[in-house]
Order: sequence, then C-alpha cells, then structure tokens
Amino acid sequence: MNSHVKIASGAADLSRRSFLVGSAATGLVLGYAAVPGLDRALAAPSNFEPSTWYSIAPDGIVTVTCGKADMGQHIASTMAQMVAEELGANWKDMRVQLASNDPKFNDPVLGAQITGGSWSTMMNFDAMSRAGAAGRIALTEAAASVMGVPAAELVVRDSVISHPKSKKSMSFADIVKSGKATKTFTPDELKAIKLKTPDQYTLIGVSVPQLDIPSKTNGTAKYGIDVMLPGMVYGRVVTPPVRFGATVKSVDDSAAKKVPGFIKTVVLDDKTGSTSGWVVAVASTYAGAKKAADALKIAYDNGPNAKLSSESLLSEAKRLQALDDSGQFFVKDGDTAAAFGTAAKVMEAEYTTNINIHAPLEPMNAVAEFKGDILHIYSGNQFATRTGQIAAAVAGIDPKYVVMHQMWLGGGFGRRLDADMMIPAVQAAKAVGKPVKIIYSRENDMTMDYSRPLTYQKVKAGLDADGKLIALNHDVVSAWPTARWGIPDFLTPSVDKKGPLDSFTVNGADFFYTVPNHQVRAIKNEMAHNATPSGQLRSVAPGWTFWAVESMIDELAHASGKDPALFRIELLDGKGKNDGGAQRLRNTLLAAMGLAGYGTGKLPEGEGMGVACVSSQERASASWTACVAHVAVAPSGEVKVKKLTVATDVGMQVHPDNIRAQVEGAALWGLSLAMYEKATLKDGGIEQTNFDTYTPLRMSQMPEVAVNVIANGDKPTGVGEPAVTVIAPALGNAIFNACGARLRALPITADAVRAAMKA
Amino acid sequence: MPNLTINGRNMSVEAAGDTPLLWVIREQLQMTGTKFGCGAGLCGACTIHLNGEAVRSCQTSVSEAVGKKITTIEGLSAKGDHPLQKAWITEQVPQCGYCQSGQIMQAAALLSRNSNPTRDEVVAHMDGNLCRCMTYSRIQKAIMRAASEMRTASNAGTERRST
Repeated sequence: MNSHVKIASGAADLSRRSFLVGSAATGLVLGYAAVPGLDRALAAPSNFEPSTWYSIAPDGIVTVTCGKADMGQHIASTMAQMVAEELGANWKDMRVQLASNDPKFNDPVLGAQITGGSWSTMMNFDAMSRAGAAGRIALTEAAASVMGVPAAELVVRDSVISHPKSKKSMSFADIVKSGKATKTFTPDELKAIKLKTPDQYTLIGVSVPQLDIPSKTNGTAKYGIDVMLPGMVYGRVVTPPVRFGATVKSVDDSAAKKVPGFIKTVVLDDKTGSTSGWVVAVASTYAGAKKAADALKIAYDNGPNAKLSSESLLSEAKRLQALDDSGQFFVKDGDTAAAFGTAAKVMEAEYTTNINIHAPLEPMNAVAEFKGDILHIYSGNQFATRTGQIAAAVAGIDPKYVVMHQMWLGGGFGRRLDADMMIPAVQAAKAVGKPVKIIYSRENDMTMDYSRPLTYQKVKAGLDADGKLIALNHDVVSAWPTARWGIPDFLTPSVDKKGPLDSFTVNGADFFYTVPNHQVRAIKNEMAHNATPSGQLRSVAPGWTFWAVESMIDELAHASGKDPALFRIELLDGKGKNDGGAQRLRNTLLAAMGLAGYGTGKLPEGEGMGVACVSSQERASASWTACVAHVAVAPSGEVKVKKLTVATDVGMQVHPDNIRAQVEGAALWGLSLAMYEKATLKDGGIEQTNFDTYTPLRMSQMPEVAVNVIANGDKPTGVGEPAVTVIAPALGNAIFNACGARLRALPITADAVRAAMKA
Repeated sequence: MPNLTINGRNMSVEAAGDTPLLWVIREQLQMTGTKFGCGAGLCGACTIHLNGEAVRSCQTSVSEAVGKKITTIEGLSAKGDHPLQKAWITEQVPQCGYCQSGQIMQAAALLSRNSNPTRDEVVAHMDGNLCRCMTYSRIQKAIMRAASEMRTASNAGTERRST
C-alpha cells in the first residue's frame, strides 16, 4: 500500500514557490521561482530566472516545456493542453519543447525527472492548470491597463482578450509586445486562483490534434539515435555471452585495427554496476565500428552466473517460497493460518511468468560530448535525474556538470528508465576526445535488457462452507527491479517491519476484494536479481500479480459453483478500506460484461468468455479496468482470440482519443505478453537476440479490441499501463471456459493448452 | 565513390560497396527519417523504396542501390502531404512514431500498385512491419483512408481529362 514516492522532499514543493510572469528578450516567460519563498522584491523582471514552464513569443506562439519523457503517450501535447485550457490560448498557437535535466523542470509531486507509473497527467494537472490560469490573469490585467477598461469585463478566448462593451480587443501577441504583462503570484495567491470547472472546459476533454504527430509522419521528429554533432564518431558495443557478471580478460584488436576509420577499443570501467564486461569499438562511421567490433577477439571470465538458466532461477524461487522466514510482508490482514484451519475448502496453485524484453523499436543509444567543463549527453530517457548522476559517476565528475538533452523516445515502456547506454558513450568520448554516438545492435539491446523478471507466485486460498473467500496467502518471488536502483525512497516499509521491500514486485496484490484474512509476501530471488538485472516493464508488478490473483479468483469461483464474474462482484463489496475503489471496479466490470454480452447467450462449441478486473497500477493510483476475453480453442490447443472488450474508469478524460490509443496499445501489449513473447536464460545469457526468436504481436495477430472509457469526473488517472495487466488472466479464464484447460504459466502456448485439456 | 540517386538528387557517397544503405542514408547523408530497428530485415523500420519497391535498407548494400531510384520518407512527397501522410495525421496514428516512416513507406508501395486493397491484402503486405506501440488498427484505418482518397483523386482526374 505504498503511497507515491518522493525522491527529494521539499525541493519541488510548489506550495512554497512564487509564480512569475515577466518579459524577456524572447517574449513573455512564465514559471515558478527557482528558489522557494522568493518574494516580490526579488522577483523584478530584470533579474528573475524562473523555471520556464512556458513562454509566449511576440508572434503569439505559446511554447510549453515538458519535463516528462515523451515515448508516444503524447504527454508533451497533454501538458500543453492543460496550460492552454486555463490560459485561454488557441490550440493552433501551442507548441512543445522537451526540457533538459535541469532540476527546475522536476516533477512537482515526485521531486525528480522521472516518467513512469502512468503518473504524469495525474500529478501535473493542478500545477499546469494553475500555471495556465496565472498567465491568463497577468495577460488580462495588462490588457485592461492598455485598453483602459476594468479587467473583470474582459473575455479571454482563442488567444484574444476582448472587451465586449467597447468592442476593443488585443491578441496575446499584442499584449506580449506591449511589455506590460508582468506579475508575481505569491504561493497563497496562486493557490487562491479559482480553476475552471469541467462545464467551462473548451479544450480538456477534446481530442485536439497531438502536436508531435506531424513530425512523426515526415521523418523530422528527432530521436536520440538521430543526434548529429560536429566531429562525432561512432561506438559499437560488444557485450559478453552472459547477461551479467562477466569480466574482460583480454582484448586482441589487431584485426580491428585494419578496418578503415578504426579509432580505438575501449574496455569499460563501470563502477556503477550497470554493465559488466563491455567493450566498445570506436570508428569514424557506424558501419566501420561494426566491422571493427566484429573483428575483436575478446576473452572473458564469464563470472558467477555463467551456469544459470531459467530453470535454475525457477527452482531457486520455489526453494525460497517454501521457507517460512523468506521475504517481507506487503499485506498482513487478519490471521490466515487460523482461517485456513476453519475453511471448508483450501486450494493452492502456482503461477509463473517468463522473462520478457522491452524491445522498444529504437535500440538504446546515446551521444556524449565533453565541452569545456560540461558533459553533454543526448538521449531519450525516462529518468533524467538518475541518468545524469550515472553519466557523471562514470565520467568522474560532479552531476551538476552534466547536461542531458532530452529527445523524443522511440518507445520507452520502462526500458529508458535505465542509464546503461550512457556508460559506453561517456567513457568512449573521454577515451577518444571526441563526441561519440553509441547505438546498440538489436542483439545488444535484447540480451542486455533490464527485463521483466521471471516470476513465481504461490497462492493459497480458503473458502468457507458457503463458498465465500475467507483467507488468501499470496507469495511473490522475483528479482527486485526497483531495489536495483539503490534509491531508498523508492522502497516501501514492510508491514512486519523486516526492512523495506520492493513494492514494484507486489503492487496489485493489495487488491480491492474484501478478504478478511489476507497476506502478501514479497520474496527477493537474489539469484535472479544478480543474474538477470531486472527493470520496470510497462505496468511492472500488476503484469504478474493480477495474472495470479485473477486466475485464482476464477478457480475459486468454479470450486464454489459460482459464475466467475458474479463471484468477483460479491467480493467487491466496498467494505472498510476498499470503500470507493471496490465500487468503481465493480461498475467497470459490469460495463465490460454488458458491452461484451457476457452470459447473454450460448457460445458455440470450443468458444469461451473469461473476465478479469484490476486496480493497476498502484492502489493509490488505480485506473479501474476490466476485460472480457472471447476465445475459440481448437482441439490442437491453438487459441484464437476473437475479441477483447476492455472497460476502464479513468476519472477525467483530458484527451479522449489519446486514452483510447493508449488503452488499445496497452491491451495489445497484454495480449503479446500473454501469448507471443518469451525470453529464456541459458548458460547465464538471454537466448533470444532479435525479432525472429523474440516475437511481439504483429498486425495479423491483432484481434478485435473494443475499448470503452468511463469518465466520472474524478481527477485523471493513468491510462498507459493498466490495460496491459488485465488481458492475460481474462484470456486464461476464457480458455478455461472454452475447453476446461487451466493455464498457470505465461506465455500461453498451444502445447500448454493441449496438455492442460488432458489434465 | 559510389553515386546514388536519392529523392531525385544525385549524391556521391564515401562508403564501401558492402555498406548497408541504411547507414549511408542516416549517418552519412543525415536523412534520419529512415530508422534502424533490427539490422536483420525483421522489423521494417528501415523501409525505403528502390525503384518504387519497398525494401529493407539494412539488408540492401550500397552497390545494390547504385543506378536505382532511391526514395526515403523525406522524398515521399514534397510537403509531407502524400495521401498516406495526411491520413496518418487524420487518424492520429503515431504513438512513439519510430516505426512510422517504415510503415508509411511500406504502405506507399502497396497503394502505388493497388489503390483498392482489401483488409487481408493490407495485413499481408504490412505484417513484416513491427509497431511496438501496437498502433496496428490505426495503421489499417489510415491506409484505407488514403486508398480511398487516392481513388477519389484519380477518378476526379480522369473526369477532368475526359471533359
């Protein structure tokens, strides 16, 4: 039950900062004072340097600076939309730019630059809205003074401020050019601004054209891989056969030296522990660097993980789970041991998921350049704050001398929270004294992914004589992706006070069903943690915890002779701590059932429907999401997904079309992970190296997806991830409904379905 | 030094004949709209046209391209207004956008010879192009919209000519 993390408490607290509107050479700049508590006297336009959240140029163009990584969720455009609504700007005048890693662009709630958790809209809505409103007030007062009319009689619409009585009007451009719009809002004044109510919205809730899309249809959008610097050379990474733990014994680059344009071989010295045993071949062109890399003869000590496989990680997980004193408790309600003693029926089941790879289509890359005292790095990254620190560490300089230039991300999915790509770029740039662009090969990218970890979950459940769920024990064994960061604030205290746990391995297990006796144990698989350093893959823990929970709930419903959907609705009674959330989840499930025609007719032989409902991402930031999956299963075990009906309650829709795009993409990700994506470890290395063996869903595998968005007017919640987590269990449950085969391992294969039919 | 004809311009490049065309286009000529995804012809991000046919530039050597007409996303239309590019905006297709140059180039090769494809023909033609954001349904819709616009335009053109 973690609440939101806060990395640098206080530093980003906007409630103590003034908001400044002032003139600069480039037009009007608007933003929060860089120093908390900066008072009016200090805020004279001549000497203020606010964190510029947006600016208005003399031609009326409004440019919003986005401190979030934009990986296709169009968050930059959404930030502009929130500002434009309160500012009263015409959408045609809006532009976006991406921020650097300067702390002044930190997230107002999180206190750092990090993009993930489907948090961005939710956490920035208030601050961006107030910033927009403050700008409108400053412009209005300036217009009033120029026109000589009372500010209260002015109307702001589409970048024009008009006075209906006198028919006078001024455009934002005119006001900026007048130089009159200068104002400082104290924290209290800012807080007192009355924001629009939803009935006054003209832009929020409207699917305005995304500002980044045109550049993504004509090749002009610049991603990290597209960065070109004068004098830049190229580095090709050579990675060892094991995922982690190797060291380089020797490098013979005599053959590489014969490659035209070859510059140098660099063996990485990485004290951050991000990489192990990596070598970079540097040459004047990328093709040359590849040839040189291919010509290197490297001898490795493959280290302590060289004999490990997926099988060994799984058996270690089972060993740990069987120990009474393993792990720490994330949930400990009631007394499950006593309740199992009184239960009429006790069921146990094991659920597993395999290793999964992010594989964004833009392979990892970075450009590093030392220029004077400053290390410039160019990349698309989700965690600029930590990434800048890691780049500084491997360069041996203070992090304040690192400037990270944010680029568009060719897919993130959590992969670009990490900083490994900075290490070869920085050390190669240092070694050759020139800017170096590193581009991972797809093989580097896949075998060195911070993968979704292999997980093993054991669930034990007790039903009373009426078939009511009275006790549930849920053990989750995995590598700990977030613990790897070494940032204490990202960990969560355990309820049994056995030290912090990585809640990003158990989120979701703290569901909204009312179960009086409920325990969730987070167990770190140290062997997997060391051999397969794991990361945050789109939706993180709910991607596996709900696979276990929602499959088990189905198994329990069948054991008690109840319809699986109605069994869930009974458990979503909204009692105690579940009040509010449970009812929203119940309503969402009912919506999905209704839209899918669940239970309204008899399906043909071999077809089935299954349901699942989730409160992903975190309990504190849930988007209520339900799915009805409709499948046809052949006697061979081949599964055809006929339709996925997804309903999701997102509170408020800032951009309805974008929400649909995100939810549909997330649902197809869920399907891809459930049926098509599987990575395996052998001899310490990831076996899959490219898209021939690691096979995300393609167009021909896409089923009909019906997305239904519920917006009840509450604050906006995240939309990029929750639908990922609801698909696998809905599919597993649909397959059971179709043919009686119960699947407990992801991905689901035809062989596994056929085997389970016979069981 | 090989001579290449790219987007109607003659360009002399400094590269060995076996260099993948992709790297010459992207890093040497700095036309970065064509993307690197897999280096193995498995994802379609690097799709360009060679004499009007969609090919994977990571699997095409410079010497294979000599004497042929190379078209990249930058040269597909004069102002980014090919019917497919317009349809991509209308349908708001891209998410991260990284695969979309390749998707558009792949689709353009289909529509240039068949402006009335069925859904199955679209799927068969596009199945080699991965979209990790999974924007497939919008890609399909945009291709159908562009095809329809191209048919309308060509009918109108025919009518004008006949009068």
